[in-house]
Amino acid sequence: MAGGRFSLDLARPSRQHWLGYILLAPAVLLIAAIIVYPLFVSVDLSFQNVGIARLDQPRRPFTTANYERLFGSPDFWNACWVTLKLILIVTTACCLLGLGTALLVNNRFKGRSLARLLVAMPWAVPEVIAVVIFAWIFDSSFGLMNWIFLSLGFIDKTINWFSDPTAAFAVVATTMIWKGYPFVSIMCLAGLQSIPEDYYAAARVDGANALQRLIYITLPNLRPVLGVTTVLVMLWIFRDFSIIYVLTGGGPLKATQTLSIMTYEQAFSFFRMGYASAVGVVTLVICVIAAKLMMRRAPDTL
Amino acid sequence: MKQSLATRLTLYASVILTCAILIFPIYWLIVTALSQPDQLRQLPPKFWPEEPRWSVFGKILEERPILLWLSNSALAAMGAVTISMVVSVLAGYSLSRFRVRGGDSLGLFILTAKMLPATLLVIPLFGIFRMTGLIGSMWSIILAHATLIIPFTTWMLKGYFDTIPRELEQAAMVDGCSPLGALFRVILPVSAPGLAATALYGFVLSWSDYAYARTFLTNAQGNWTANLGITTMKGEYISNWADISAAAILVALPILAIYLFLERYLVGGLTAGSEK
Repeated sequence: MAGGRFSLDLARPSRQHWLGYILLAPAVLLIAAIIVYPLFVSVDLSFQNVGIARLDQPRRPFTTANYERLFGSPDFWNACWVTLKLILIVTTACCLLGLGTALLVNNRFKGRSLARLLVAMPWAVPEVIAVVIFAWIFDSSFGLMNWIFLSLGFIDKTINWFSDPTAAFAVVATTMIWKGYPFVSIMCLAGLQSIPEDYYAAARVDGANALQRLIYITLPNLRPVLGVTTVLVMLWIFRDFSIIYVLTGGGPLKATQTLSIMTYEQAFSFFRMGYASAVGVVTLVICVIAAKLMMRRAPDTL
Repeated sequence: MKQSLATRLTLYASVILTCAILIFPIYWLIVTALSQPDQLRQLPPKFWPEEPRWSVFGKILEERPILLWLSNSALAAMGAVTISMVVSVLAGYSLSRFRVRGGDSLGLFILTAKMLPATLLVIPLFGIFRMTGLIGSMWSIILAHATLIIPFTTWMLKGYFDTIPRELEQAAMVDGCSPLGALFRVILPVSAPGLAATALYGFVLSWSDYAYARTFLTNAQGNWTANLGITTMKGEYISNWADISAAAILVALPILAIYLFLERYLVGGLTAGSEK
């Protein structure tokens, strides 16, 4: 914030200050109208017994019934468990695959820029399109995956990917990994390029081999980037709606129903918007905690 | 450093293999689109159709209002990006250069807003848009996408302005520029790559949305965005994967083209927010 001091030196201080607020005003007003106000409405709805939100009607009496019902509902705990499982599996896979591909294309070779472009290409495929691709690959009758598994002898009869809970979860996880790893790859590649070449030169002089250079130079220097990226990937999975909703709709038997899907289904399939808002508020609290943790963890990098 | 031939061959082999596996789903989408529909119901699958059916794109454009969906998506994205960029440029500059009371808490709030699930905001926004009669209109989707984009663009632009030396404005103001003039005549032209990266990123965010379009536009067929249109095809047309794939390619093309030709900008925008 040294700039504040500088600008005071240069022109009339009062005008400078005013300008700061004026420049900020449009954003603050717009954010207040389309983000902050809806958040308040959401919290307010979560304490009412509301079916379809009608803001032009007087609010219903205050009640904590939604939260009582929520914490007593096995569906909620199931959704928490599914969300957690998905976050653990997909984040781990995305980070390993993203880091691996970044290290691979960070090598010097001909056609490196093309390889970089290709390796992160799924990032540019819209989520809904990724769903179309994987829904067809995992099609129960003529999908490629069943054919590959059959030919390799892993299975003797075709798997019905979307009616078996474990299989459906695997399809969702696969799709998310494919869509999610390029982000890690892009971030790691940027991080790798900021590591000074001198470090490696010095290590080579000292006789460090490739593995030692990876463990003692690359990974420690990549840690801040990797830390932030991991949190961002986790939050993406936590928030994601379109992949799961279009692929499985949360089924079968709620095997892929995360908190996001549960919120949406309660609100727009069962029209229990008060109850759905309560689920949403719980996810909001988790998000705020994650944001705080991230700020504390990497105050300089964000 | 000289590499031995064996090392280099291993490197090339692993790069090619990795790329091939990771890109395969995109390749498969193309193969599926170009295959005859009945060929897709034969095993073993063909990894390249005998007679690529290039006419499928023309056919699907005639049968489905894909151009309408694409132009709706483009309209929504341009509207949301324009609104977001106007407010974010001013706010990002203010947060970067001025000492504003509450500026730090605003920064923290914006960071939190970046992480809000769409499924949380979609319920109150539904109520608000219903009350104001915006459900089904393009405005509902433009404003909803702005909630996705503004936190990102403000944060990215603040970071970008932080990297521009203050001496630039200092010089401009010594030469008689007003502070606002310095922003428009000096800082913004210098920031063109950062602005482009930010706007492109906002465009991608808007183009990828499904949750808001599904909620606000389902009953307004004329305003369907590309993603919404595609999912309705997936629902009804489960057997005709060739047609769905062809439509999916057309919908994915704009973003893929941006990525392939402007990757530098896009990646710059992606990493700018989280790195110094």
